[in-house]
Amino acid sequence: MAPLLLYAICAAGAIGLYLMLRPGARSVKSIGALLGFAAVAYLGVRLALAADLSAGLGLRDFPFFVAIFAGVAVAAAGRMITHPRPVYCALYFVLVVVASAGLFLMLQAEFMAFALIIVYAGAILITYLFVLMLAQQAESEEDLRSLAEYDRVPREPATAVLVGLVLVAVLGDALFGRTAENTTRPGQPWPTVAVAEGVAREWAALDDMPRARNAVIEKLAPGYTEIVRNPMGDAITVRNGTAFVEIVTADGVQKTLELPDSARPGNTQRVGFVLVSSFPVSLELAGVILTMAMFGAVILARRQAELGDDRRRDAAARGPAGTLPNGSAEGGRP
Amino acid sequence: MTGLAAAAMAPLSMSPAALNLVLLLSAVLFGLGMIGFLIRRNMIIMFLCTELMFQGAALAMIAFGRMHMDLSGQVFVIFILTIAAAEAALALGLVVLLFRHRETLNAEAWSELRE
Repeated sequence: MAPLLLYAICAAGAIGLYLMLRPGARSVKSIGALLGFAAVAYLGVRLALAADLSAGLGLRDFPFFVAIFAGVAVAAAGRMITHPRPVYCALYFVLVVVASAGLFLMLQAEFMAFALIIVYAGAILITYLFVLMLAQQAESEEDLRSLAEYDRVPREPATAVLVGLVLVAVLGDALFGRTAENTTRPGQPWPTVAVAEGVAREWAALDDMPRARNAVIEKLAPGYTEIVRNPMGDAITVRNGTAFVEIVTADGVQKTLELPDSARPGNTQRVGFVLVSSFPVSLELAGVILTMAMFGAVILARRQAELGDDRRRDAAARGPAGTLPNGSAEGGRP
Repeated sequence: MTGLAAAAMAPLSMSPAALNLVLLLSAVLFGLGMIGFLIRRNMIIMFLCTELMFQGAALAMIAFGRMHMDLSGQVFVIFILTIAAAEAALALGLVVLLFRHRETLNAEAWSELRE
């Protein structure tokens, strides 16, 4: 794709976003939303057409579901950053999370898709909603003017949109620019090496899970006496994407079994296996980070409680005239 | 359903063109999150916009992992979730603390770094 066209599309999207942000008539904002969404959609459709659709893209049921999820994600993200009501922003972000969970499913990351919904939409977003409701003043349903001024008026929309435009344009140029032109041409051979390596890795993961492996072999050949290991020391030998295992049956005959494709460990099993076998230190560090964050949150809350106590004691010492029942604008100043 | 099962059984690699599509989406999400962080003045929404940027990064990692048929990308998304959760806990505690001091969520109320 010509770089100039890419920049033009990005600029159209940026103008649309700016129109959405500008305080003005509703019609202008809808035109902006339409323009911004049309720019992103045009870019996506153009790229999808440039790709060799007949050969498949390795994305399940590609055109339909991916288009829907991508469209929902972009639209909800755009609405999220432009909506004046904070609670609606959080809800639109839930929509973004659900849409990207759908994309994760398309990309065969089933475990992460559901973990994303449970952890992000279920836990983190609910925390945000709690705090929003804790900190937000009551407002009337209809009147936008009852909203706080800092929610209605964006800060420096033109500069921010320009910065975002530059970022997306540079990233897009890296993806579809001159250097990437020949890798995106249709008819390019598939990276079959990556597939073969990936399949071999999946079988190797099964080999490292002795319980699961033995269960599979037991199912195929009940009553075998032992597994013959190959010269590499592995029980499972992978050839051309299929896996074999040599066993000795009860009669003392050596036999080669072909493992069925369904024996390959599923996504959740493999993610768990890689997490524990390849990143044990990172896993521990993640635990430490979570613990520290919990301590940090507790300490922040505790200091607040102590301040409140001090203030109450001061108020009591000053007498009934100077009582400050709860935290006021004066709070925290010496 | 059988189609989905068959697709799960016979792994296809993702073509570079499809990877580019998903990467473009992740770039757009990241860019929107950054714009949101710059334009919003509500502290909670600013942090929500950083979560949007996390989403963009996570999507890119999953896509690259799918392209290379390697699970490290997915494992890193788990770490992203961890960081996002830690950030949410700390940031929201901080926001509540700041809100009690000034009774406003406006980030500009704190533009002067003095008590």
